[in-house]
Amino acid sequence: MTGETVQNITKTFKYSFPTCTNEEIFFNLEVPVDIPHGGSTRELVQRVINMFHIPVYLEEELNEKLAQFVAEETKNFHNERDKKLLNQLKNSEINVEGIIKNWEKLFKDNVMEFAEQKGTSDEEVFAAAYHKLVHSPALETILQVENSYAKTVMNTLKSRDEDIEKLTQKQTEEMEEKVRMLNISSTEEEINELAAQQFEQQALVAGRWGSQLDALRQTQRAQHRAWLMDTLQEYQSTSALNTPSNSPLATFSPESVSLPAPVAAGGARLEESFTIHLGSQLKQTHNIRIVAMDLLDLCAVEQVDNPAESSRRLQTALSLYSGELAGCVVLCSSPPRRPAPPTTRLLAAADLSTEHHFPSMDAQLRDISERLLEPVERRNSQRVQADSAGPRSRSRRDLQTGDIFITKHSNLAEVHVVFHLMVDDSSLRSGDITSRHPAILGLRNILKAACSNDITSLAIPLLLRHEMSEEMTAAWCVRRAELVLKCVKGFMLEAAGWGGAELRTLTAALPATIAPSLFAPLAALTPNIFRVSNPVKFKAPNKTDSS
Amino acid sequence: MYQDNEDDCKFAACTYFAKNHPGEMCGSNGLPLTPSSITILGRAQRLLTIEHPNLCTYLDVIRGKHERIIVVAEVIGKSLKECTSKFSFQEIVNIAKQVAISMKFLHDQDIIHRTLSDDNILIDNEGRVKLFNYGLYYMTGGGSEVSFPLGLPRYLSPETILNGGGPAADVWSYGIILLELSIGKLWNNLKPGPILRRILTLVHANNPAERIAREHDCFEQYKQVPENLRNIIEKCLKIYPSERATFSELVEDLTQMDSKELVEVKTPRGLMGCKLQYLYHLWQLAGGDIQAELKKNYLIKNSPPILSMPIAILLDGCTIGGKTGALFDRRLAKYSLDLLKSRLSHVPPQDFYPLMHERRKEYDAVALPKIIRERDTEYQFYRLLWFHRLLHGYPYTAPYIRAEAEIDIPPLVRGDVWAALLGVVGDIEDQYERIDKETPTPTDRQIDVDIPRCHQYCWLLCGSAGHKTLKRLLKAWLLTNPQYVYWQGLDSLTAPFLYLNFCNEARAFACLSAFVPKFLHKFFLKDNSAVIKEYLAKFWQMTAFHEPELATHLHEINFVPELFAIPWFLTMFSHVFPLHKIVHLWDALLVEGPALPLFMGVGILRQLRDTLLSSGFNECILLFSDLPEIDIGECVKESIEMCRSSPRSVSYRRFTNEAEVKDPMDIVEIPMEVLFNEISPRINLSDFFSLICQDKCCVIDIRSNLLYEKSCIDGSINVPYSGVHLGQHELRALGLHPQRVIQEAIKQKKMVVVASAEDETAQLFSDYLVKCCVPRVCILHGGISALLTHVPSLFTVPPKRNGHK
Repeated sequence: MTGETVQNITKTFKYSFPTCTNEEIFFNLEVPVDIPHGGSTRELVQRVINMFHIPVYLEEELNEKLAQFVAEETKNFHNERDKKLLNQLKNSEINVEGIIKNWEKLFKDNVMEFAEQKGTSDEEVFAAAYHKLVHSPALETILQVENSYAKTVMNTLKSRDEDIEKLTQKQTEEMEEKVRMLNISSTEEEINELAAQQFEQQALVAGRWGSQLDALRQTQRAQHRAWLMDTLQEYQSTSALNTPSNSPLATFSPESVSLPAPVAAGGARLEESFTIHLGSQLKQTHNIRIVAMDLLDLCAVEQVDNPAESSRRLQTALSLYSGELAGCVVLCSSPPRRPAPPTTRLLAAADLSTEHHFPSMDAQLRDISERLLEPVERRNSQRVQADSAGPRSRSRRDLQTGDIFITKHSNLAEVHVVFHLMVDDSSLRSGDITSRHPAILGLRNILKAACSNDITSLAIPLLLRHEMSEEMTAAWCVRRAELVLKCVKGFMLEAAGWGGAELRTLTAALPATIAPSLFAPLAALTPNIFRVSNPVKFKAPNKTDSS
Repeated sequence: MYQDNEDDCKFAACTYFAKNHPGEMCGSNGLPLTPSSITILGRAQRLLTIEHPNLCTYLDVIRGKHERIIVVAEVIGKSLKECTSKFSFQEIVNIAKQVAISMKFLHDQDIIHRTLSDDNILIDNEGRVKLFNYGLYYMTGGGSEVSFPLGLPRYLSPETILNGGGPAADVWSYGIILLELSIGKLWNNLKPGPILRRILTLVHANNPAERIAREHDCFEQYKQVPENLRNIIEKCLKIYPSERATFSELVEDLTQMDSKELVEVKTPRGLMGCKLQYLYHLWQLAGGDIQAELKKNYLIKNSPPILSMPIAILLDGCTIGGKTGALFDRRLAKYSLDLLKSRLSHVPPQDFYPLMHERRKEYDAVALPKIIRERDTEYQFYRLLWFHRLLHGYPYTAPYIRAEAEIDIPPLVRGDVWAALLGVVGDIEDQYERIDKETPTPTDRQIDVDIPRCHQYCWLLCGSAGHKTLKRLLKAWLLTNPQYVYWQGLDSLTAPFLYLNFCNEARAFACLSAFVPKFLHKFFLKDNSAVIKEYLAKFWQMTAFHEPELATHLHEINFVPELFAIPWFLTMFSHVFPLHKIVHLWDALLVEGPALPLFMGVGILRQLRDTLLSSGFNECILLFSDLPEIDIGECVKESIEMCRSSPRSVSYRRFTNEAEVKDPMDIVEIPMEVLFNEISPRINLSDFFSLICQDKCCVIDIRSNLLYEKSCIDGSINVPYSGVHLGQHELRALGLHPQRVIQEAIKQKKMVVVASAEDETAQLFSDYLVKCCVPRVCILHGGISALLTHVPSLFTVPPKRNGHK
């Protein structure tokens, strides 16, 4: 333990000097001084002289005496304290083992020389390899390979869906038949039996497809890794390499890459961007986009072959292991172990292709809910103790409004990191939430995490709602947007002092179904709340030469 | 004994992470907690000023991303740890003496080392010893701002292990090092736990040194150590700190033992003879990159951030999963100066020693903007050497410094140069010491509110050290200026001085004390309305004088300077701009004097001219509520140009601390009410006279032609006021001849002086000229009659009609 707990003590400095008429009678001066003394003793002397009107000819002497006094007392202070400690040690009054264990742990956990030597983890090796290759001529091949993998998964998914649909249809027909014949040729028991049978069939089919998909993903993942590592080796040995020769592309049928007519994603969406300044004297620049869209559009890769889509993927792949990550905030009201929409939609999007870098989202969610059990329970029980008045009896182990869990992805369209912000639907529906609302505080934690984890572009739901609903009137929307923007502004200003990554682009998403007439006033809020930077106007240099 | 191949490295860097504040980052005052790295940065500034022959000078403390701290300091030779060969006892005594001297110095400064170890005691071929990175304990607030333990286990004193320990703990570490030097490495290959356990068991020993020697089976060897050295070691290795020797006692003992004087090393000539701080600065300008070398040595590792993403954050800010704290790596990255040497290899040797009265060399770089010059290695090299020399001679070289500062000021010595420009002399430390900065006063509350909002983007000013010092400075200034009160803005005004003199509070204070009377005389009076009103009126006149079109527009939309310019002048722009711009602005201010700020205001307006001309009142208010980017270099250049081209009397203000004007030739003072009404400034007789002599003005006589024909100023034209249509804002309306003369004057940048018999008409006519967009219009103070009394020689009888020249 190096954190020294210095408890100041106060000592009285005594000084006396003769009265002017009688050499034997003294003026006595007593000044309490904090030991250890923080400031300069000479300054203290000046204060004493002024306050007590002490003759100036004593200044030098006082300076000397006080400095000596403080030095002496400080030394005594340290020595006395240490003597007590040492005596305790001698008399075995302290827990020596505990102290030594503590030091041992400190050294082992924090200092290179004493730490256990850890090699670089597999994760890091793979990260380095991928990052290197993705910034080499092999990039295109990598993306193609990933694309074809994704396509296989999607095709399988499609067949699964078709299969299941067919089955369902068949079953429905069967069932309808049976129901029609109820009391004629079939009994209630028979129908129940059939239902059970059908359910079993469904489960069987789903299970079969599920395991098939799992197997596919696992092979793909393994293949992908092996191939990348091979390619890297080749790349390093031949330093110049245009297209990797052993690309697994060869094993795929050379489907003619038919470029579908580029579909403008979602048609013209409502969008407005601003460049803003923050700070009163030194200004930092950020971009703010107000967009009406579904935040999950940032995640899902729908058409693999679409060039617009692949360019989005390209950007994401390039920056995956860089210090410029992209994140988005998704509101959810269910804990990670029981995903509900919109988390399930995200799950579906993440499942469209194989996650080559991180555990699958399913696994991540499971892992999160396991690892969260203990700290959340501890926190919640503390909270219950703290405000016993609050009769809210929520599950002791659940996340609460404002808590966040985080998943990371390599196969989404535009984001690497998804912040799942727990919200309580009913309170967010009401119009009057304040800046102390847990959801807002959660937003602050997200911005802080973004700052300390190098996330430089972030998308948030501006209204803290993903969908429009009837209570969201124009006034409601403006009020909510204003609150969120103002709070975000404060958080961004705050983040500037933390010395992390600065948030370059903040995307504020409005529900996709918002009316254009409502979008305009919301977009107009930005220049009111933030200082929009003035465009630099080019001015022709002065003709009168003054150089 | 000593190794031969001495490294050429002059400085080294080490790096570590400051501690993260856990959970919610809010202090008791409701403001966010200061990050630990900021606190460290603030504390470390003091270390940068410490110079001692046995201490490696600290050169820089850098705050990196994510709470990283990089410390750059001088290095020499190699560390004791790297010296493989054994030292003779005489050498040990010599090393011991030098270490003791430096440690005594540190303890006198109330700096505890705590991390003294064999790898931060450096020794060179001549046997000179320096301590490296002795301030880790100090800058991290006793280790409370970092998460790793300070020091190495085997040098920790027993009381340190028990979480105590004062300065005497350093004596113990010192003793252990001496013992190691004498009998070899102690507790080799042991893990921290067992080492600490052994140290703690020493408390039961009577003579810990002997006990340690026995433990290592070196007792015999220990007995062979000369007795006096053994005594020293045993004096240090006492269990109770109160029984240990202090370093001043040790220095005394060792000086008696060690008679060997160090070989006086001749200071190298040329580049290597320059101050290390300069070399470091120039090395950086030449492209030296501290972080690059650290990365090369894997001291900065870049693990992809996505791999260390946390898995959850609870509402109270508790982060789960993610980054584990980086390990503290004690290794150093060393830097050689080769880069700089090759960059400056063509500089002839005599250039290192410039002579003050030598004809100055001209550099091509002077034509470049200041910001570029500040990054030019060679230019800065010459400027630094030159200023270094001039500053040595201060105060006798004050005029030279002023002349050079007019060109530019090297950023590295800006603090010194500013003090010189402000005429700071004498024992400022003593004066500052005498001021009571601690006793609470009623203004403390306001100061406490303002300081956490003052230039907080600056890492120095936003830390607790910065806050504390700024408060002390403000209190000291208020106490020494009882006639003044605290106006908001005084904090911003103080900030640049603190920023440049962070470790020299007394000089920051002296600069502030000299600055205010010169530039802001009476601005901080409790009732400062008259002063500010006059200042703004003068500013408005200067705007009309140099930017008549803009002034007319702003007059029309009634956008008056009271709405935006008060913080400009009250804080001399320090509230408006970031520090890196203020320093350039003030560089010019300090050289040019108190008239310049008026023209700087005009310069800012001029840059916004196009926007302003097309804006109405509301847009203007919005525009000024958050000033757009201003090109400070351009603004400074133009304001100096305007300032120099304007006659002095034009910008005359009554509220300055200059001597009262007595000579009727020099008087321009008019009652305040008159001043507020006049759009154009007045010029005094002597300025007018010199303008006439240099043929730099065009005089418009607006008396009736009868009076004009009787006697007039030589070269003046006559535009009888009675014939002017004030509603018609076109020069043409004045008639062909006056129009041509005035246009010619505008083209030649002459002053346009309105001379009249009575003030009122002069005022109205000058307003009219301004509305016609005629620049540089001023009114002759006292009019024709005063001029006739004092300078009758200027008058002549005009040639008869149509005899114009």
